[in-house]
Amino acid sequence: MYGARAQSRSTGLFLFLCAAMLLLAMASQQPWAAGARGAAKSALAPVEGAMTSLAAQVDRLTSVFGDVSSLRAENQRLRAADEQLRRQIVELNAAAKENASLRQALNFQKASGHRLVAAQIIGRGPDSFSRTMQIDRGTADGVQPGMVVATGAGLLGRVREAGPHAAIVQTLGDPQSRVNVYLSKSNLQGTVSGGPASLAMEIQHALGVTASNGEWALTSGVGGGYPRGLVVGEIASVTHRESSTSDEAQIAWVNDPANLTFVLVITDFLPS
Amino acid sequence: MRRAFGAMLLVAAALAQVTWAPRLEVGGAFPNLVLLAVVAVTWTLGARSGLVWACVGGVLLDLTAPGPIGPHALALLPGVYVISFWIRNLEHPNALHVALSAALTTALYSASLVLTDNLVGMPVPSFGVAAQLAFAAAVYNALLMPIAIELVRRLQTLVRLGPQPT
Repeated sequence: MYGARAQSRSTGLFLFLCAAMLLLAMASQQPWAAGARGAAKSALAPVEGAMTSLAAQVDRLTSVFGDVSSLRAENQRLRAADEQLRRQIVELNAAAKENASLRQALNFQKASGHRLVAAQIIGRGPDSFSRTMQIDRGTADGVQPGMVVATGAGLLGRVREAGPHAAIVQTLGDPQSRVNVYLSKSNLQGTVSGGPASLAMEIQHALGVTASNGEWALTSGVGGGYPRGLVVGEIASVTHRESSTSDEAQIAWVNDPANLTFVLVITDFLPS
Repeated sequence: MRRAFGAMLLVAAALAQVTWAPRLEVGGAFPNLVLLAVVAVTWTLGARSGLVWACVGGVLLDLTAPGPIGPHALALLPGVYVISFWIRNLEHPNALHVALSAALTTALYSASLVLTDNLVGMPVPSFGVAAQLAFAAAVYNALLMPIAIELVRRLQTLVRLGPQPT
């Protein structure tokens, strides 16, 4: 009796919460709710930024501890000296990596001719279905939905949503991402799409020309979604399909989202 | 006290989910710490608490994801609802049941998330990609669930939230 009543109350609560969340989802999607939604999403950004910094520090610390554990067999004096030197190396490596990434970003800014806003990555998407990142710049810094996001190495993705002080970037790794590209040597055109493991490219056939490994894929500007000339990646392998109008290739993306800390938002280009 | 503890646990899980968990990616999937926390709450405190905290945790995830607020909360509810009945009817729950509950919740969460995203007009991955990612996440969460439930039980004892589950 008690079990049946508890079951019925749980079912009632389940149905009520489902209806409430569905209503919330539909209401928060309306244009009039966009401001409130963006503000709510920006509220968590400072804490996310702090957590990301903490994670980076823990990474550095654990790498030092890892090194120390491998040196246990050595004598005490050498171990202490080694520990100190290794900590310095880790710190220097981290600083050098950050410097290199900032220098690369600066070079990119000079070479690209675009107006850019530098942003720090403060979080990633909560599920595996959408490969997104959260950055610490928003509408208050001139970042708008649709703007292209790159790094010094090349294209990263596009701003999907922007709040006052944070924005969500859909990376090329997202299964929904599509970008039109051309190949550096053969000049063949195609479309790169995201995937859970790697980027895939459909290459349009052209008479007497075939794509080859090692060619660079750059944004073609076709369709107006991205500016022309941003590096996407290098062809890792090509599968030729005689019976089809296109070949398939795997692209080694120039960006490894797992290791990125800074990105650049191109603020003077919006998709047409 | 109980509510404050629950809220703190879920905020910590959601923040770790979007900052630390993606570093543990294997096969395109990474652990869903909020889902693990919610399943652990369902095991320790029962169906109604599990459902309420699923909503809170889901909304927190929605605040870090693109799109409207609600799909993650909506996606967590069916899994919690189904496992709560299963848990209630188990006579001698063991680690395998705990792991299976996480796998089942992950599968239902993934299916519901794709359906909800589709319903509200958000882009959804193809069936093959979604199934592959859901399977990898289910295995991952199942492996971590016994650890998560032990952690929640210890935390519960620590803050004297209530009687220990039998």
